[in-house]
Amino acid sequence: MAELSFPLPDLGEGLIEATILEWLVAEGDQVERNQPLVEVETTKSAVELPSPQAGTVVKVHGEAGSVIAVGDPLIVFEVPDDTAGIVGTVPAEKAPARRVRLSAVLDDD
Amino acid sequence: MESPTPADRGELEELYRLLAAVRQLDTAAVRWQRQGIIPGYAPLLGQEAAQVGSGYAVDPTRDFIFPTYRELGVARAVGVDMVEYMATHKATWHGGLYNPATTHFAPIQAVVGGSVLHAVGWAHGQRLAGPGEDGYNVALSYFGDGASSQGDVHEAMNFAAVMKAPVIFFVQNNGWAISVPTERQVAGGSVAARAAGYGMPSLSVDGNDVTAVLEATRQALAHCRGGGGPILIEARTYRLGPHSTSDDPGRYRSLDEEQAARRSDPLAACEALLRTRFGTPDSFFAGALAAGEAEAEAVRQGLEGLAPRPGSEMFDFVFQQPTPALKAQAAAWRTESEHV
Amino acid sequence: MSETLSSPLSPAAGDGPAASAPLTLSMQGALNRALGEVLEDNPKALIFGEDVGRLGGVFRITDGLQARFGAERVFDTPLAESGILGMSVGLAMAGFHPIPEVQFDGFAYPAVNQIVSQIGRMNYRSRGALPMPVTLRVPSFGGIRAPELHGESLESLFVHVPGLKVVSPADPHQAYHLLRLAGSMPDPVIFMEPKARYWQKGPVDPADAGALEGARIARPGRHLTLIAWGAMVARCLQVAELAAEDGIEVEVLDLRWLSPIDADGLAESASRTRRAVVVHEAPRSSGLGAEIAALVTERCFNTLKAPVERVTGFDVPYPSGDLEDEYIPNIDRILFGIQRVLEHRRG
Repeated sequence: MAELSFPLPDLGEGLIEATILEWLVAEGDQVERNQPLVEVETTKSAVELPSPQAGTVVKVHGEAGSVIAVGDPLIVFEVPDDTAGIVGTVPAEKAPARRVRLSAVLDDD
Repeated sequence: MESPTPADRGELEELYRLLAAVRQLDTAAVRWQRQGIIPGYAPLLGQEAAQVGSGYAVDPTRDFIFPTYRELGVARAVGVDMVEYMATHKATWHGGLYNPATTHFAPIQAVVGGSVLHAVGWAHGQRLAGPGEDGYNVALSYFGDGASSQGDVHEAMNFAAVMKAPVIFFVQNNGWAISVPTERQVAGGSVAARAAGYGMPSLSVDGNDVTAVLEATRQALAHCRGGGGPILIEARTYRLGPHSTSDDPGRYRSLDEEQAARRSDPLAACEALLRTRFGTPDSFFAGALAAGEAEAEAVRQGLEGLAPRPGSEMFDFVFQQPTPALKAQAAAWRTESEHV
Repeated sequence: MSETLSSPLSPAAGDGPAASAPLTLSMQGALNRALGEVLEDNPKALIFGEDVGRLGGVFRITDGLQARFGAERVFDTPLAESGILGMSVGLAMAGFHPIPEVQFDGFAYPAVNQIVSQIGRMNYRSRGALPMPVTLRVPSFGGIRAPELHGESLESLFVHVPGLKVVSPADPHQAYHLLRLAGSMPDPVIFMEPKARYWQKGPVDPADAGALEGARIARPGRHLTLIAWGAMVARCLQVAELAAEDGIEVEVLDLRWLSPIDADGLAESASRTRRAVVVHEAPRSSGLGAEIAALVTERCFNTLKAPVERVTGFDVPYPSGDLEDEYIPNIDRILFGIQRVLEHRRG
């Protein structure tokens, strides 16, 4: 698994920071791309930030009332680093199991 | 072509209930993949109206639908059992477990553009059989902007037009073929424009407006039933989700673009229409979404209870008349592999 | 590095950048690295196909190559396999070395016309004036619970076509070097990548290819030769380990090149061990195992202690994920096959 960290994005209009109003996801949650992650307030408005990534939340930075600067870490996701490709699953590496035993007379070898 | 009557209140409410059921099933299926209940799924998020509006217009007792792998909404609208449909995504059986002969919903097609000619062949069969009292039975061929690049699709349109086959080419132009946007896929930008080259009419509709899709499909059905030959509908919509549950759209498109596309949500549009035209109350919408959620939960239970098919079925369906060699292979498999 | 059977590699493919220590790469990473080097070495090499550009391929084999080499040399095509392969013919005629990707094995079926009728015979038709240096990469075989036609074993189809060469690597080291070699060859090569092995990591020594022609002995043994390619090589190595517990020393021969097939290498091994079992995922009837059995029998009839045994997929369409393990030769079925050969007594 790989970790992907996302910083607080530039919310536009020259704002340099935002205040966290409420986290809408918690550590351990599986989130989908575009799912609302957090509600933040800038000097102009309150906005919900959508998730840029599907994955499992491993860390959120700050709690309600915390001020986060644009570019500082906001959330960290865990994503598989050996994704199966567009379809299918990665085969599990398992110890070989057997029912059949071999027997042979190899005296003439 | 005469214009069909627009949807009345009862119809529109029924359409909303279908949209809600499909939305809930589709978003639940993504969760099931994350929970390990199914190995993969191709979400249709954003395309609900294109699928429900067209599927609702069809008469599955006489017409025949040829889907791709992303037509859960159509399947639900024409009454295909959702556990039997989802069986393909659970890797139980390629094509699903529903009966395509009785449901008139062809097996789920994994090849892009793979079934478009089949629809033309079925439709030509209706032509050969002759019209019923109410005209011809009609084939509906579903495909996307990506499939429109396949040579088979062009052959299909030409065959259909030459033979005046009663087939509707229903194109969901959802903006993306995996990572390739329509402007890099469809020269000229419009699949509907190609119909003219084959001498057939086409309709271009807002695929997120369920009533527009319904009306266009009804119009097209009337055209085909009356012997007018093939017709093409291009429903412009947007694939809001990934191509499949393992796809990462962050590699090829921006969140801003997705956010913009989200503003034309097909459910919200239908809800707004019901509220303004008929004053439908909040309770109706909440009830429809709750019913959809309950349905999705029942489908989840059905899927979790769906056991793998017996391995003997690998051999059972290769032929109508199994060969001796295949029977011998089945016997050898039973001896060496069957878990008893 | 394993023992090798045949003549050493032609110098072209061996000399990579001055790499030092062996790397640890997945097969996906090894293939990606090889493709980058092929594009670096040959300015006429082009990569194209469905989603190979911006996305980097659905298995990420072309990841980062468009950013590195530009959208003229690594590009997405419209979604049409026959178009991708047909255009390869014209690009080759124009002096390029096309390295198209067919996204999944089953998607090669719509392109069979161009592969068989055109790519495989243009050199012949033109009396050598129009060579077809086309390296067609095909993610191949099953084992990943994929949808229908996303896991097929097409080798018998391809090897039956005159004018095509066919190769399938079994591990990251082989994948890296075989793709570098295939990407420099003047003839069409179908490069069958075992998608079930894309993510397993292994050593890759860029500086030491070893011999790349013909088959290679992946594990030496003296009682029986197990012949396989692609993903089945790893399974056969597991079987050989289990057989050793029973006192049977199994040699595993990684065939690698399915066309041209290494008849000498097959005969050399089978004449030593005097017993042979061939394992493949593809259906049994007229599968490549039949050709191998014929070759081994022709050359080793008098020394063989038993007929060549085949452990294969069945003559059924490749099944859905739930039944995949019933279809792909499993350890027990391979052991049964070995046991039949061991028990055989000439009458």
